[in-house]
Amino acid sequence: MVTDKQKEFAKLIEPHLPSLYNTALRMTHNQNDAEDLVQDTLFKAYRALDQFQKDTNFRAWVFRILVNTFITAYRKAIRQPQKVSYDDMEEFFLYKRLDETVTIQEVPKEEFLENLFDDDVKEALDNLPYQFRLVVLLCDVEGFSYNEIANIIDAPLGTVMSRLYRGRKLLQRYLWNYAKKRGYITDEFLPKK
Amino acid sequence: MSSYQKNKQEFDCADIEEYVQQYLDNVLDEEKKRLFEEHIEYCLPCDKKIEFERRFKEIIRLKAKENLPHETIDKKLKELLENLS
Ligand SMILES: [Zn+2]
Repeated sequence: MVTDKQKEFAKLIEPHLPSLYNTALRMTHNQNDAEDLVQDTLFKAYRALDQFQKDTNFRAWVFRILVNTFITAYRKAIRQPQKVSYDDMEEFFLYKRLDETVTIQEVPKEEFLENLFDDDVKEALDNLPYQFRLVVLLCDVEGFSYNEIANIIDAPLGTVMSRLYRGRKLLQRYLWNYAKKRGYITDEFLPKK
Repeated sequence: MSSYQKNKQEFDCADIEEYVQQYLDNVLDEEKKRLFEEHIEYCLPCDKKIEFERRFKEIIRLKAKENLPHETIDKKLKELLENLS
Protein backbone atom coordinates (compact mmCIF):
# COMPACT_ATOMS: atom_id res chain seq x y z
CA MET A 1 0.00 0.00 0.00
CA VAL A 2 1.24 3.45 -0.88
CA THR A 3 0.84 5.97 1.93
CA ASP A 4 0.12 9.68 1.61
CA LYS A 5 3.68 10.45 2.65
CA GLN A 6 4.96 8.26 -0.16
CA LYS A 7 2.68 9.92 -2.66
CA GLU A 8 3.79 13.34 -1.53
CA PHE A 9 7.41 12.29 -1.79
CA ALA A 10 6.92 10.79 -5.25
CA LYS A 11 5.40 14.03 -6.47
CA LEU A 12 8.28 16.06 -5.05
CA ILE A 13 11.04 13.83 -6.36
CA GLU A 14 9.79 12.90 -9.81
CA PRO A 15 10.86 16.07 -11.67
CA HIS A 16 14.40 15.68 -10.29
CA LEU A 17 15.00 12.01 -11.04
CA PRO A 18 16.58 12.52 -14.48
CA SER A 19 19.02 15.10 -13.05
CA LEU A 20 19.86 12.98 -10.04
CA TYR A 21 20.43 9.95 -12.19
CA ASN A 22 22.51 11.89 -14.69
CA THR A 23 24.73 13.33 -11.97
CA ALA A 24 25.05 9.94 -10.30
CA LEU A 25 26.08 8.39 -13.60
CA ARG A 26 28.82 10.95 -14.21
CA MET A 27 30.07 10.57 -10.64
CA THR A 28 30.10 6.75 -10.45
CA HIS A 29 30.95 6.03 -14.11
CA ASN A 30 28.50 3.17 -14.48
CA GLN A 31 24.82 2.51 -14.61
CA ASN A 32 24.47 -0.01 -11.78
CA ASP A 33 26.37 2.12 -9.30
CA ALA A 34 24.43 5.17 -10.42
CA GLU A 35 21.13 3.41 -9.79
CA ASP A 36 22.31 2.30 -6.35
CA LEU A 37 23.43 5.82 -5.53
CA VAL A 38 20.10 7.32 -6.58
CA GLN A 39 18.24 4.62 -4.69
CA ASP A 40 20.21 5.27 -1.49
CA THR A 41 19.73 9.00 -1.93
CA LEU A 42 16.00 8.62 -2.26
CA PHE A 43 15.73 6.39 0.80
CA LYS A 44 17.62 8.93 2.85
CA ALA A 45 15.62 11.81 1.48
CA TYR A 46 12.38 9.99 2.23
CA ARG A 47 13.42 9.23 5.78
CA ALA A 48 14.54 12.83 6.32
CA LEU A 49 11.51 14.35 4.61
CA ASP A 50 10.18 15.74 7.90
CA GLN A 51 13.36 17.77 8.24
CA PHE A 52 12.89 19.35 4.87
CA GLN A 53 11.53 22.87 5.31
CA LYS A 54 8.66 23.52 2.96
CA ASP A 55 9.19 26.53 0.70
CA THR A 56 12.93 26.00 0.69
CA ASN A 57 14.85 24.58 -2.24
CA PHE A 58 13.93 20.89 -2.49
CA ARG A 59 16.14 20.36 -5.52
CA ALA A 60 19.25 21.66 -3.73
CA TRP A 61 18.29 19.73 -0.60
CA VAL A 62 18.07 16.41 -2.40
CA PHE A 63 21.29 17.04 -4.35
CA ARG A 64 23.03 17.70 -1.06
CA ILE A 65 21.92 14.25 0.08
CA LEU A 66 23.14 12.74 -3.19
CA VAL A 67 26.58 14.32 -2.76
CA ASN A 68 26.88 13.22 0.86
CA THR A 69 25.82 9.71 -0.05
CA PHE A 70 28.34 9.62 -2.87
CA ILE A 71 31.19 10.84 -0.68
CA THR A 72 30.35 8.38 2.08
CA ALA A 73 30.08 5.43 -0.30
CA TYR A 74 33.22 6.29 -2.25
CA ARG A 75 35.28 7.63 0.63
CA LYS A 76 38.06 5.11 0.06
CA ALA A 77 38.22 5.57 -3.68
CA ILE A 78 38.33 9.35 -3.47
CA ARG A 79 40.53 9.72 -0.42
CA GLN A 80 43.55 10.50 -2.52
CA PRO A 81 42.56 13.28 -4.87
CA GLN A 82 44.13 12.95 -8.30
CA LYS A 83 47.08 15.20 -8.81
CA VAL A 84 46.38 18.03 -11.15
CA SER A 85 49.02 20.24 -12.60
CA TYR A 86 48.06 23.87 -12.36
CA ASP A 87 50.68 24.90 -14.87
CA ASP A 88 49.31 26.23 -18.07
CA MET A 89 45.83 26.56 -16.70
CA GLU A 90 45.28 29.36 -19.11
CA GLU A 91 41.95 30.89 -19.97
CA PHE A 92 40.56 30.49 -23.51
CA PHE A 93 42.71 27.36 -23.93
CA LEU A 94 40.58 25.71 -26.59
CA TYR A 95 39.94 28.91 -28.48
CA LYS A 96 43.64 29.67 -28.62
CA ARG A 97 44.56 26.17 -29.82
CA LEU A 98 41.92 26.32 -32.53
CA ASP A 99 43.16 29.74 -33.51
CA GLU A 100 46.64 28.32 -34.06
CA THR A 101 45.29 25.60 -36.29
CA VAL A 102 45.64 26.66 -39.88
CA THR A 103 43.33 24.04 -41.38
CA ILE A 104 40.38 25.25 -39.39
CA GLN A 105 41.06 28.94 -39.25
CA GLU A 106 38.45 29.68 -41.87
CA VAL A 107 35.77 27.71 -40.07
CA PRO A 108 33.89 29.21 -37.12
CA LYS A 109 35.50 27.84 -33.99
CA GLU A 110 32.09 27.05 -32.57
CA GLU A 111 31.83 24.34 -35.19
CA PHE A 112 34.50 22.38 -33.35
CA LEU A 113 32.21 22.36 -30.31
CA GLU A 114 29.11 21.38 -32.27
CA ASN A 115 30.98 18.47 -33.82
CA LEU A 116 32.06 16.94 -30.53
CA PHE A 117 30.22 13.73 -29.76
CA ASP A 118 28.20 13.43 -26.58
CA ASP A 119 30.49 10.58 -25.60
CA ASP A 120 33.57 12.79 -25.94
CA VAL A 121 32.07 15.33 -23.58
CA LYS A 122 30.96 12.64 -21.13
CA GLU A 123 34.34 10.96 -21.20
CA ALA A 124 36.12 14.26 -20.64
CA LEU A 125 33.86 14.98 -17.69
CA ASP A 126 34.37 11.48 -16.30
CA ASN A 127 38.11 12.01 -16.36
CA LEU A 128 38.05 15.19 -14.31
CA PRO A 129 39.11 14.74 -10.69
CA TYR A 130 35.86 14.24 -8.79
CA GLN A 131 35.90 17.55 -6.90
CA PHE A 132 36.10 19.47 -10.16
CA ARG A 133 33.67 17.18 -11.94
CA LEU A 134 31.04 17.59 -9.24
CA VAL A 135 31.13 21.38 -9.32
CA VAL A 136 31.12 21.57 -13.13
CA LEU A 137 28.14 19.20 -13.25
CA LEU A 138 26.22 21.13 -10.64
CA CYS A 139 26.85 24.49 -12.29
CA ASP A 140 27.05 23.89 -16.03
CA VAL A 141 24.81 20.86 -16.41
CA GLU A 142 22.31 21.27 -13.57
CA GLY A 143 22.30 25.06 -13.46
CA PHE A 144 22.76 25.56 -9.72
CA SER A 145 24.01 28.95 -8.51
CA TYR A 146 27.37 29.36 -6.74
CA ASN A 147 25.57 29.72 -3.40
CA GLU A 148 23.47 26.63 -3.94
CA ILE A 149 26.60 24.65 -4.86
CA ALA A 150 28.43 25.91 -1.78
CA ASN A 151 25.55 24.57 0.27
CA ILE A 152 25.28 21.27 -1.63
CA ILE A 153 28.98 20.39 -1.35
CA ASP A 154 29.41 22.10 2.01
CA ALA A 155 32.35 24.27 0.94
CA PRO A 156 33.06 28.00 0.92
CA LEU A 157 32.11 30.08 -2.11
CA GLY A 158 35.77 30.65 -3.01
CA THR A 159 36.34 26.91 -3.19
CA VAL A 160 33.33 26.48 -5.45
CA MET A 161 34.62 29.17 -7.80
CA SER A 162 38.19 27.92 -8.00
CA ARG A 163 37.08 24.31 -8.60
CA LEU A 164 34.59 25.39 -11.22
CA TYR A 165 37.04 27.54 -13.16
CA ARG A 166 39.81 24.96 -12.98
CA GLY A 167 37.37 22.21 -13.91
CA ARG A 168 36.25 24.04 -17.02
CA LYS A 169 39.82 24.75 -18.08
CA LEU A 170 40.81 21.12 -17.59
CA LEU A 171 37.77 20.06 -19.57
CA GLN A 172 38.90 22.17 -22.53
CA ARG A 173 42.34 20.62 -22.29
CA TYR A 174 40.91 17.07 -22.30
CA LEU A 175 38.59 17.82 -25.22
CA TRP A 176 41.46 19.22 -27.22
CA ASN A 177 43.50 16.10 -26.54
CA TYR A 178 40.61 13.82 -27.60
CA ALA A 179 40.10 15.82 -30.74
CA LYS A 180 43.72 15.27 -31.68
CA LYS A 181 43.67 11.61 -30.71
CA ARG A 182 40.49 10.90 -32.66
CA GLY A 183 41.71 12.72 -35.72
CA TYR A 184 39.25 15.62 -35.63
CA ILE A 185 42.36 17.74 -35.72
CA THR A 186 44.74 16.13 -38.16
CA ASP A 187 48.49 16.31 -38.23
CA GLU A 188 48.27 18.21 -41.47
CA PHE A 189 47.74 21.42 -39.63
CA LEU A 190 50.64 23.77 -39.33
CA PRO A 191 51.00 26.14 -36.45
CA LYS A 192 50.75 29.77 -37.42
CA LYS A 193 54.07 31.53 -37.80
CA MET B 1 43.94 41.86 -9.78
CA SER B 2 45.58 43.97 -7.09
CA SER B 3 43.34 46.22 -5.08
CA TYR B 4 45.03 49.49 -5.97
CA GLN B 5 43.60 49.03 -9.42
CA LYS B 6 40.04 48.80 -8.24
CA ASN B 7 39.15 52.29 -9.32
CA LYS B 8 40.19 51.76 -12.88
CA GLN B 9 37.88 53.24 -15.46
CA GLU B 10 38.45 50.75 -18.23
CA PHE B 11 38.95 47.02 -18.65
CA ASP B 12 41.79 45.77 -20.83
CA CYS B 13 42.12 42.34 -22.48
CA ALA B 14 43.78 40.91 -19.36
CA ASP B 15 40.78 41.93 -17.25
CA ILE B 16 38.50 40.14 -19.69
CA GLU B 17 40.57 37.00 -19.26
CA GLU B 18 40.39 37.35 -15.50
CA TYR B 19 36.64 37.88 -15.31
CA VAL B 20 35.33 35.85 -18.24
CA GLN B 21 33.97 32.98 -16.17
CA GLN B 22 32.28 35.22 -13.62
CA TYR B 23 30.82 37.27 -16.45
CA LEU B 24 29.36 34.21 -18.15
CA ASP B 25 27.96 32.95 -14.85
CA ASN B 26 26.41 36.35 -14.35
CA VAL B 27 27.94 36.98 -10.94
CA LEU B 28 29.91 40.17 -11.64
CA ASP B 29 28.79 43.27 -9.79
CA GLU B 30 27.14 46.01 -11.85
CA GLU B 31 30.27 48.13 -12.18
CA LYS B 32 32.51 45.29 -13.38
CA LYS B 33 29.81 44.02 -15.68
CA ARG B 34 29.55 47.46 -17.27
CA LEU B 35 33.33 47.72 -17.73
CA PHE B 36 33.42 44.19 -19.12
CA GLU B 37 30.70 44.86 -21.67
CA GLU B 38 32.24 48.18 -22.67
CA HIS B 39 35.46 46.40 -23.51
CA ILE B 40 33.97 43.62 -25.60
CA GLU B 41 31.84 46.18 -27.40
CA TYR B 42 34.91 47.54 -29.18
CA CYS B 43 37.44 44.67 -28.82
CA LEU B 44 36.55 42.10 -31.47
CA PRO B 45 39.11 39.42 -30.42
CA CYS B 46 37.75 39.43 -26.86
CA ASP B 47 34.18 39.46 -28.08
CA LYS B 48 34.82 36.38 -30.20
CA LYS B 49 36.46 34.57 -27.30
CA ILE B 50 33.53 35.34 -25.03
CA GLU B 51 31.07 34.01 -27.60
CA PHE B 52 33.12 30.85 -27.86
CA GLU B 53 33.17 30.36 -24.09
CA ARG B 54 29.44 30.97 -23.91
CA ARG B 55 28.88 28.28 -26.52
CA PHE B 56 31.30 25.97 -24.70
CA LYS B 57 29.17 26.15 -21.56
CA GLU B 58 26.03 25.39 -23.55
CA ILE B 59 27.65 22.46 -25.33
CA ILE B 60 28.71 20.91 -22.04
CA ARG B 61 25.14 21.20 -20.77
CA LEU B 62 23.59 19.77 -23.92
CA LYS B 63 26.01 16.93 -24.51
CA ALA B 64 26.47 15.77 -20.92
CA LYS B 65 22.78 15.09 -20.38
CA GLU B 66 21.68 11.51 -20.46
CA ASN B 67 18.37 11.22 -22.24
CA LEU B 68 16.40 8.90 -20.06
CA PRO B 69 13.21 7.58 -21.60
CA HIS B 70 10.09 8.57 -19.72
CA GLU B 71 9.15 4.94 -19.18
CA THR B 72 12.43 4.29 -17.40
CA ILE B 73 11.80 7.13 -14.98
CA ASP B 74 8.23 6.00 -14.34
CA LYS B 75 9.35 2.44 -13.79
CA LYS B 76 12.09 3.48 -11.37
CA LEU B 77 9.75 5.68 -9.43
CA LYS B 78 7.23 2.88 -9.08
CA GLU B 79 9.93 0.44 -7.93
CA LEU B 80 11.17 2.97 -5.48
CA LEU B 81 7.77 3.62 -3.95
CA GLU B 82 7.24 -0.10 -3.51
CA ASN B 83 10.59 -0.38 -1.77
CA LEU B 84 9.90 2.48 0.60
CA SER B 85 7.09 0.70 2.37
ZN1 LIG C 1 40.18 42.75 -25.55
